[in-house]
Amino acid sequence: MQCKAKALVSSLLALGIVVAVAACGSSSSNNSGGSSSAAAATSSSGGSSSAAAASSNGPAWCGSKKITFALADGFGDNNWRKITTGEARDEAAQCKNVTKFIYTDGQGNTQKAISDIHGLAAQGVNAAVVFPDAGQAVLPAIRDAFHAGVVTVPYRVFPGGKAGTDYDYYISTQFQQAGALWGKWLDTALHCKGNVINLGGPPANSQSLAEYQGLKQAIASCPGIHIIGQTPYYVTNWDPAQTQKVVTAVLAKYPKIDAITTDFGAALASAFSAFSQANRKIPAIATEDSNQLSCDQKKLGFKLFTVDSQNWMVRTAVDFAVAKATGGQVPSSTVVPQKAFEDSVSGKPHPVECVPSLPSDAILSSHLTHTQLKQALGE
Amino acid sequence: MSTSDRTAESQPPPSAAPAPSSSPRFAAASLPICLATAALFLVSLIFEPDSVRHSALLGMLPFAAVLAIAAMGQTLVVQQGGIDLSVPAMISLTIVLLTSYPNGDSGKLLPAIVIALAATLAAGAISGVIVSVIGVTPIVATLGMNAVLYGVVIQVSAGNPPPTTSALAKFASGKLLGIPNSVIIAVVLTALAALIIKRTVVGRRFEAVGSGLLGARAAGLRARRYQLATYIVAAALYCIAGILLAGIVHSPSAFQGDSYLLPSVAAVVLGGTSLLGGRGSVVATAVAALFISQLDQFVLVMGANQGVQNLVDAGALAVGLAIYSVPWRRLRRNVRRPSPGGTRRLEQSAEPGLPGL
Repeated sequence: MQCKAKALVSSLLALGIVVAVAACGSSSSNNSGGSSSAAAATSSSGGSSSAAAASSNGPAWCGSKKITFALADGFGDNNWRKITTGEARDEAAQCKNVTKFIYTDGQGNTQKAISDIHGLAAQGVNAAVVFPDAGQAVLPAIRDAFHAGVVTVPYRVFPGGKAGTDYDYYISTQFQQAGALWGKWLDTALHCKGNVINLGGPPANSQSLAEYQGLKQAIASCPGIHIIGQTPYYVTNWDPAQTQKVVTAVLAKYPKIDAITTDFGAALASAFSAFSQANRKIPAIATEDSNQLSCDQKKLGFKLFTVDSQNWMVRTAVDFAVAKATGGQVPSSTVVPQKAFEDSVSGKPHPVECVPSLPSDAILSSHLTHTQLKQALGE
Repeated sequence: MSTSDRTAESQPPPSAAPAPSSSPRFAAASLPICLATAALFLVSLIFEPDSVRHSALLGMLPFAAVLAIAAMGQTLVVQQGGIDLSVPAMISLTIVLLTSYPNGDSGKLLPAIVIALAATLAAGAISGVIVSVIGVTPIVATLGMNAVLYGVVIQVSAGNPPPTTSALAKFASGKLLGIPNSVIIAVVLTALAALIIKRTVVGRRFEAVGSGLLGARAAGLRARRYQLATYIVAAALYCIAGILLAGIVHSPSAFQGDSYLLPSVAAVVLGGTSLLGGRGSVVATAVAALFISQLDQFVLVMGANQGVQNLVDAGALAVGLAIYSVPWRRLRRNVRRPSPGGTRRLEQSAEPGLPGL
């Protein structure tokens, strides 16, 4: 009898926990276009390919058919993703015929990402931009949505397959270019001489690998510059604590480090205490931009070069998806170039920008206004 | 006074037995891992002296302290025959509360610490009730608690917590007589825990409940209370680990606690505590945490790639498990004197076990 009572209580407790989690959970939100109308009023003129001939509905890529639009994210819970989602909402809001904007978050779980895409197709969305973090694992789901009539546009991470057969368009960028921009800057900033440490993300990550290839090629013209330590990169998993441990280890091992290149500058900024502990100066840094890093540069004075974090790349994907679904003018290029953003040495294209009123994880290369940035980051 | 009275007085009362000295047992439990750690530092000094340089130690020791404190909480739970899979979420929750609530304002740090403690203790109490009163397996109960707490983490931080307050960062990087504050806190907590467990009635009863639940109940101990209290005390330790980590890492992520689950279990195993429950040593666990941290640092400075680092960690764990799990004495005896055919006498286990149960 006691065992039955215990079983009943435990079942009720489990049910209660499940209901509480479901009530409090906020993984997928269903937002109508109305919530982004305020953002549309103050939207910047960004967007990588806003065509000149705007119709009464909006830009040229905004056709006449009314559609529902979805952004299927693989992992939504960091500052880069939140700002990117803000950019996508802002871009979609420019087209009055996008009547609904749905956002789903795969939470880093491949199974959830797959079921999110299937769910969107089942709901009958007309256009979907997908961030295929799990790569080829989500290709079948993307293909299913494509064959179900959803205009499907994966971007930034290659899901495999072929545009036209498995999905409509793939919007890409060349991460080698980012590495090449870093390398070119190092050639000048280090006067063709010095030791460079390269930090990357998880093991065998395609972005970090491509950046290393670009970096290596760009510094080949300066035989005095050497990439020391682990190649292609020290694994940090883009985690601030792991980055701090790696920086501690390299400072202990290498007495002369002239530059650090990394694809996650904010994590490196978190590890600056390791330099003061080791009584070492912060070397030249080449990375993607971050408000915190820029504000630290203003305080500590190290040489800094950043490439654009490309949050606005999603706008190109939105343009393609909405154009195809609404019958608008489809943009011409699916390749989004890497661009330099800040250079503390030359000041071109921008000097280092620090905005203390914005959160430290704000990304200033984004095409959102400061108000929109705060909104996107949940301030 | 007659001679017989004096004789009677000088005799000890017949019911009193000499209290079992825990010092030799305590030392014996920690000995293998202490020797291993000393050997590791010696090897590091010889082959990679950069890994034990002053600045490298200053960088490694705070992380070792955090792992030691978290692993101590895990040790307490494991000693009760359970395992705590909510370590990542407890640490992450503490970190996001300590960063999101103050949002850079050092004046709000103390209330944030109180909130974090209250939240983790409440979570620990709920886990304790589910395990001890309702009877759900610890692995399931704590796994569920981990998931629920991560929901709270995301709700509080929206996935990206702000940087830590300057007051906490200053405290975490501060030193007393050249020793990092986090290390001092870890040493004090370890000494306190070891003293309470080995030298107080509460501690001995705690080990008795872990060694044999039914026997402890039969002896009249309130086993449920000890089990419940274990999860609450463990939660407090995870919270302290999270507070220190929030100060050490200036811009922590919302999931900073993720990397502390497996290492906390590894430290428990390498310290010699049986995963089946019973006797254990928080001192051995803390030393094992130092061993793991220095091993990682040594391999990193050596320049080995991630694959090699993972293999080294796994190898250390396998060796540690083998040392404690394989019955070496029995094997040695069987090798020297193989038993003849027919019945074999049941050999007593080498471990003395707790008296009276």
